[in-house]
Amino acid sequence: MNRRFIVRAMLLGCLSLASVHLLASPGNQKSPAKRTGVSSAAAPAVEGTITVNGVTDIDPTKAFGSRNAPVVMEIYSDFQCPACKQLFLTTTQRVMDNYVNTGKIYLVHRDFPLPMHAYSRVAAIYSRAAAHIGKCEVVEQALFENQEKWEATGDVKGTVAAVLSPADMKKVQALVDSKTLEALIDRDKQLGMNIPVNQTPTSRLYTRDGQPPYPVIGYVSFDVLKTLLDQIAK
Amino acid sequence: MMESAPFNYRRLIILVSRLALAGIFIYAGYSKIFYPNQMFRPVALLKFSVLANLSNFGNQVNSYKLLPQAGVDFVAHTLPFAEIMIGLLLLIGWRLRIWACIVTLLLLSFFAMVTRAYILHLPIDCGCFGKPEPVTSFTLLRDGSFLLLACLLTFFVFQEARKPHPWAAPAEAPRSA
Repeated sequence: MNRRFIVRAMLLGCLSLASVHLLASPGNQKSPAKRTGVSSAAAPAVEGTITVNGVTDIDPTKAFGSRNAPVVMEIYSDFQCPACKQLFLTTTQRVMDNYVNTGKIYLVHRDFPLPMHAYSRVAAIYSRAAAHIGKCEVVEQALFENQEKWEATGDVKGTVAAVLSPADMKKVQALVDSKTLEALIDRDKQLGMNIPVNQTPTSRLYTRDGQPPYPVIGYVSFDVLKTLLDQIAK
Repeated sequence: MMESAPFNYRRLIILVSRLALAGIFIYAGYSKIFYPNQMFRPVALLKFSVLANLSNFGNQVNSYKLLPQAGVDFVAHTLPFAEIMIGLLLLIGWRLRIWACIVTLLLLSFFAMVTRAYILHLPIDCGCFGKPEPVTSFTLLRDGSFLLLACLLTFFVFQEARKPHPWAAPAEAPRSA
């Protein structure tokens, strides 16, 4: 037994392990368990939420598109996460234009503020409040576009106020101060932790055939996501 | 039976650092291609997973704000595979001087980029091993130690190349007249 044999054996061993891992793995990450909201530790639905295509606890003010769409797409994101910003500004906008507005996808935004981001929960609360007065898109756009500015200063309120009229900002502030919307954010967070969501952004695509959802983890460009959407959103 | 080459510390360091760096590079390339999306069946989903992971890695490269978009796309689509290939070549030990130099240069560039991101306090993921990992002092320490290992490997490999091969016949003593 010489050195060449040992090295070749090690190389073959590595390749074999990799092949075994690839071919004999349980397959994809489509968890056989659950659609969102149907968990063993299910909490009662939060007031004001709806169920679409078996996906529960949807805040209709943070969802877009037709409820009869063949696919429901949930996106768990954090307003202070750079990859979520990139996803929102480049991919999600095109998904809205090409799939949501054409009735192929019902898009649900789920807030998943990460503990290491100091202001992401504040941003989620303001965004949720703006959604409840019908200004979701404009405020989310402002928050993601100006992410570097408000995460350095903590001035989420100023960022939101810059894109709303004084009357709308007053309504948003009233909702934020009432703290009535925090239960919705907590519910989204709990749903994400049940999956579990390990990083943001995490998207899940639910089809009407009852199959487990397709997970898409991390940032993905629209051109790549399109290959999956075209297959399942027929 | 052929005897093993004589043992010395230089060759031990070469072997250990070669195998360690091979493992690191293979894992780095593998994790960029197959993490975080791991849908392996059917083939269409495998293709989507790989493309999604490369897209994710491309976003991490882009966040360093060093390369134009074309450069980012090129790096995202080639670097993971190049890392696996380099790792396998280190494992085999073929043309070690060349690949040791390339590994050292690669690790030097990675270390420089990570150091720059750390100094500028960029809120980005390292992108070293596929999974999200902020750039911290631990990242610098880790990448620095990989670079040190690569430098050691390169140094000793060149030193080893200058020594006569241990199996070579000893030089003949000059004949007296």
